[in-house]
Amino acid sequence: MSAPRPGAPRPLEKLALSLKAYPTLLRIGLAEAVAYRTEMLVWMLTLTMPLVSMVLWSSAAQGTRLGPERLGSAELTAYFLITLLLRLLTGSWVLWQVSEDIRSGTLGQRLLRPVSPLVVYTAEQLAPLPLRAALVLPLALGLLATQARSQLTSDPWLITAFVLALPGAWAINFLTMVLLGMMAFYIDSAAGLFYAWMGLYTLFSGYLMPLSLFPLWLQKVSDVLPFRYMLDSPVKMLLGWPIAGGARDTALGRGQALTSLGIEYAYVAVLALLVVLLWRRGLRRFAAFGA
Amino acid sequence: MVAAKHTAEEVLASVSAAAPPPAGGARSGDAAPVATTGETAIAVSELHKHYRVYKRPPGLYAAMRSLFHREYEDKQAVRGISFRIACGERVGFLGPNGAGKTTTLKMLAGLLHPTGGRLEVVGHTPQRREVAFLKQITLVMGQKQQLLWDLPPADTFELNRAVYDIPTAQYRQMLGELTEILDLAQIMKTPTRQLSLGERMKCELVAALLHRPRVLFLDEPTIGLDVSMQVVLRQFIRTYNERHAATVLLTSHYMEDVLALCPRVLVIDQGQLRYDGELKALVHLLRPEKRVTVRLSGPVPDVELARLGTVVSSGPNQVVLQIAHSDLRAAVAHLLERLPVTDLTVEDPPLQEVMRDLFARPAAPPAPAPEAP
Amino acid sequence: MGRLSGLRPAARQYGRLLGLQLRVSLLAGMQYRWDFLAQGAMQLVWLGMSALPLLIAYNARAAAQGGTLTTTDISGWGFYPAAVVFGCFCLLKAVLDGAVNPSLLSVIDQIRKGTLDFVLLKPADAQFLVSTARFEPWHVIDAAGALALIALAVHRQHLATGAALPGGLQLGSAAVLLCCSVLMLYAVWLLVICAAFYVVRIDNLSYLFSSLFDFARWPRAVFRGALQVVFTYVLPLAVMTSFPTDALLGRLRPWQAAWAVAIAAGLLFLSRRVWRRAIASYTSASS
Repeated sequence: MSAPRPGAPRPLEKLALSLKAYPTLLRIGLAEAVAYRTEMLVWMLTLTMPLVSMVLWSSAAQGTRLGPERLGSAELTAYFLITLLLRLLTGSWVLWQVSEDIRSGTLGQRLLRPVSPLVVYTAEQLAPLPLRAALVLPLALGLLATQARSQLTSDPWLITAFVLALPGAWAINFLTMVLLGMMAFYIDSAAGLFYAWMGLYTLFSGYLMPLSLFPLWLQKVSDVLPFRYMLDSPVKMLLGWPIAGGARDTALGRGQALTSLGIEYAYVAVLALLVVLLWRRGLRRFAAFGA
Repeated sequence: MVAAKHTAEEVLASVSAAAPPPAGGARSGDAAPVATTGETAIAVSELHKHYRVYKRPPGLYAAMRSLFHREYEDKQAVRGISFRIACGERVGFLGPNGAGKTTTLKMLAGLLHPTGGRLEVVGHTPQRREVAFLKQITLVMGQKQQLLWDLPPADTFELNRAVYDIPTAQYRQMLGELTEILDLAQIMKTPTRQLSLGERMKCELVAALLHRPRVLFLDEPTIGLDVSMQVVLRQFIRTYNERHAATVLLTSHYMEDVLALCPRVLVIDQGQLRYDGELKALVHLLRPEKRVTVRLSGPVPDVELARLGTVVSSGPNQVVLQIAHSDLRAAVAHLLERLPVTDLTVEDPPLQEVMRDLFARPAAPPAPAPEAP
Repeated sequence: MGRLSGLRPAARQYGRLLGLQLRVSLLAGMQYRWDFLAQGAMQLVWLGMSALPLLIAYNARAAAQGGTLTTTDISGWGFYPAAVVFGCFCLLKAVLDGAVNPSLLSVIDQIRKGTLDFVLLKPADAQFLVSTARFEPWHVIDAAGALALIALAVHRQHLATGAALPGGLQLGSAAVLLCCSVLMLYAVWLLVICAAFYVVRIDNLSYLFSSLFDFARWPRAVFRGALQVVFTYVLPLAVMTSFPTDALLGRLRPWQAAWAVAIAAGLLFLSRRVWRRAIASYTSASS
């Protein structure tokens, strides 16, 4: 990917081409998603971890309030339901697609097209979102209709922050999964990496419990890792809880939400850069060694 | 001069409508003669198979609609096939894709339940899948394999020994015999995933024959193999058939397989049996002509050649003519006397062409491809 | 030929087959040695990590109520009994992931590739062949870890509350109930796999099942009201882990034991019927 070959599209041309092709890519991606709707539904049903956590924690908080924030059963139930919603909307499994393409050599076919495979991957992963949102809608409405409604914040700033955090969460999910998938350029089996990553994710993202229930040192660790910005932080924005712990206070909450958004999108930028850089190196290796 | 050509369909229709197909006992053809015991190995009578295929239309709206009202299509895969095969015979199944060959084969092996008709293989009803029945048959599928992928074929052999409950002595003897014929000593111990396609196919055959089955169902066994390997496999199948008097039923797209192995063929098209008899006779029926290849020492005007028969190809020194059987004698005599001929060969038209003609359906539209249920 | 006289050699043949299948899986697993150790280690890490919520929940509740770990209870279950339940869950999961899943998952693959035909051609029971096709041997590592956890928790419970250590009867009944749990899991798994005969493109089914099974990691009292009824009588998740724990801690009631055995038997019977029905449809509808 050094000097452009004669006849090959220059970077700016490539960009224009990608933009022009994008709507079509999205359309095709959506059509594929519809064709695989059963698989998607089954996948969505497999996301039960938040519910499993919810069962434990709502019982643990029965008749009392836990942690420095005094969280009761109702609060914890709402937390996990929103976690589930968020995970369903922003989760990404492009890792398997990427590593399979690299391993089987199908990446070669993708590289023949004038649009970068990375761009195509984003289209393929973005396209099903409307379908996913539609499938998730019942849960969301149920949330709003039931008791959990009372848990949601009414502060418009926080709600805006939540909405703004959604694309970032999706982006971090997508980029980290692409990064892991790209490891197929270098190592044999993606499964081990994936499980290690999922382990860290489960622990540090708020999947198991609101991070404020962690011992303090563990909370500090989770603050610097990208995982919490995919789940715990946005959820707390919507619930109006202080993101970094402490008593509920509107001004404090808004300030923390802003900081959280900042760190989140900083991670997005860093990860995007990493992906582009490592992609180029990986491609060189791929071209050298073949499939 | 050239006889009016009927379409292949008409010819076959007239054949099927005429005398019933010959039963059992093949006469010698191109392939080596087959010794049979006269007992019936396979008896099929009015076999029918149809199944329902659900349509899965694309698009979101159609998908929603299909939740309430599923559209389906009844596909007739096999429509009333009848034939008899004697023990020790080698028979080829010919037919275009989707004709019902594999379906028939699977019904014979007990993998599919027929929708109608009677079926008996070595005295058993296949669909009951009795242990005694399963131990006497084997099915080899060219595009699929039963070998364990990560382990050497030797381990698959061991597994099959246990599954088929093969006595040690017989196992050792069969394994020795098979590995010797196919030259497998080395590759038996290599993990399957490291073997080439040809080596895998050889091991696949061994795994399928360890229990010394009396009936072999071979579904495109040589597909994807190179020519030398195809020859090896054909020779092997013939050897096994001769040594153990096993009945062989073969489907293949490679005409050479059928030519080399099967004196008798059953032609199946759109689920119906179109022809049952000698391969040579079929060729005569469809192409009552011979191919004459002539080497000439000097140029001959095309007009003159055209008077003798259809010119298939003409080069500077060589001409290929297609001449009707009835005119053959006169034409050859004329060629030898009047034209500067240095070499002359008379043979049947290539089987591939004959088959292509047979299955060409100029009028009927192609059948829609069935979706997996 | 009487059925009984054919039973002994049949049992011997199937026993030999099972041994061979195990050996084959072990050999195949050993091919990737690094995988064996790495996977085993990974499983242990998972085990430790998934125990964390339990620990933190009890600690949090203790802190909120002003008690200690050993005196706090959630829905009537103390910390150590809950840990035993969790240990049973991990043990069952190890058996599930190591012995049940790999084989039954390969069925889906075989259906898609068309190689299930070879299984049906063999003169041995298809369900047996398919269920013993593959094992993942490194799960003995986390099975051992789970057993250690159970032993530790039982011991601590004994120290904390002065309850008696489990004797022969308790251990025996716990073992029987755990076997029933494994059989229940197997039967439900088989039912799920049978769905693949009818709707071919379901790869995620294994995840669905594992996800549902996740609910079995907590004591059954944690599920309240209707949910507890469902998880005890419909999807016996609560039965699988809580009942053996009750047995170990010496508080098993006879109806529990009877119910567990009844469910296991019933599910096995049902799954066998559905399997046969699925095979029948496979051989009648495919081409």
